[in-house]
Amino acid sequence: MALRAAILRHVRVPVQTLSLTAPKSIPWGSFLRSMSSHGDDHLSKEEVIERVLSVVKDFPKVDPSKVTPDVHFQKDLGLDSLDNVEIVMALEEEFKLEIPDKEADKIDSLSLAIEYIHNHPMAS
Amino acid sequence: MGISRGARLSGMQKQVLSLYRGFLRAARSKPEEERRKIESILSEEFRRNSKQVDRKNFIYIEYLLRRGKKQLDQLKDPGTTGLSSLQVHLPQTNKRGH
Repeated sequence: MALRAAILRHVRVPVQTLSLTAPKSIPWGSFLRSMSSHGDDHLSKEEVIERVLSVVKDFPKVDPSKVTPDVHFQKDLGLDSLDNVEIVMALEEEFKLEIPDKEADKIDSLSLAIEYIHNHPMAS
Repeated sequence: MGISRGARLSGMQKQVLSLYRGFLRAARSKPEEERRKIESILSEEFRRNSKQVDRKNFIYIEYLLRRGKKQLDQLKDPGTTGLSSLQVHLPQTNKRGH
């Protein structure tokens, strides 16, 4: 018995194998995602650009082939000031925002829309 | 009163656009079908006036703005489902008779 105890005390389980197999069993991907969305879930500029482009292209009076990230709604797309209001309202719905009149009146181009939405903390 | 194309907006134009925005916001709270109808009537009304009304006829534009604000207040009432009761010269849109 004394001999067995002595042997057991000296046996070392190789710790290495544990650390090698462990990562495979933990869903790191979802763990990291949940951590990142808990903190800063701000939209990336690329995503804002893509979604703004698609809202404007879907606007009935707009020729989608003319829509690029630097077009002016009225000068380049032939829209009027009422269309401009409708586009900004459609962007509000897309990004779940409410844009005050004072700001909305200034948004007359795609680049200004992208800038405003990208800088808005509540855009989602 | 003419529709601006990229020029700086006058105070009166801003008031008109703000009223239009207010109407579109109020329309959002209505059921989908009513909302579409309201939006098409709004778009038609505002565009018709923008073509027909002389942009220098401030007194008339002021009158239209005041009338529009009253109509907007009525539309904001949750019981109001359409614009038919507000704009009597247009075809009835929400009286289905059953």
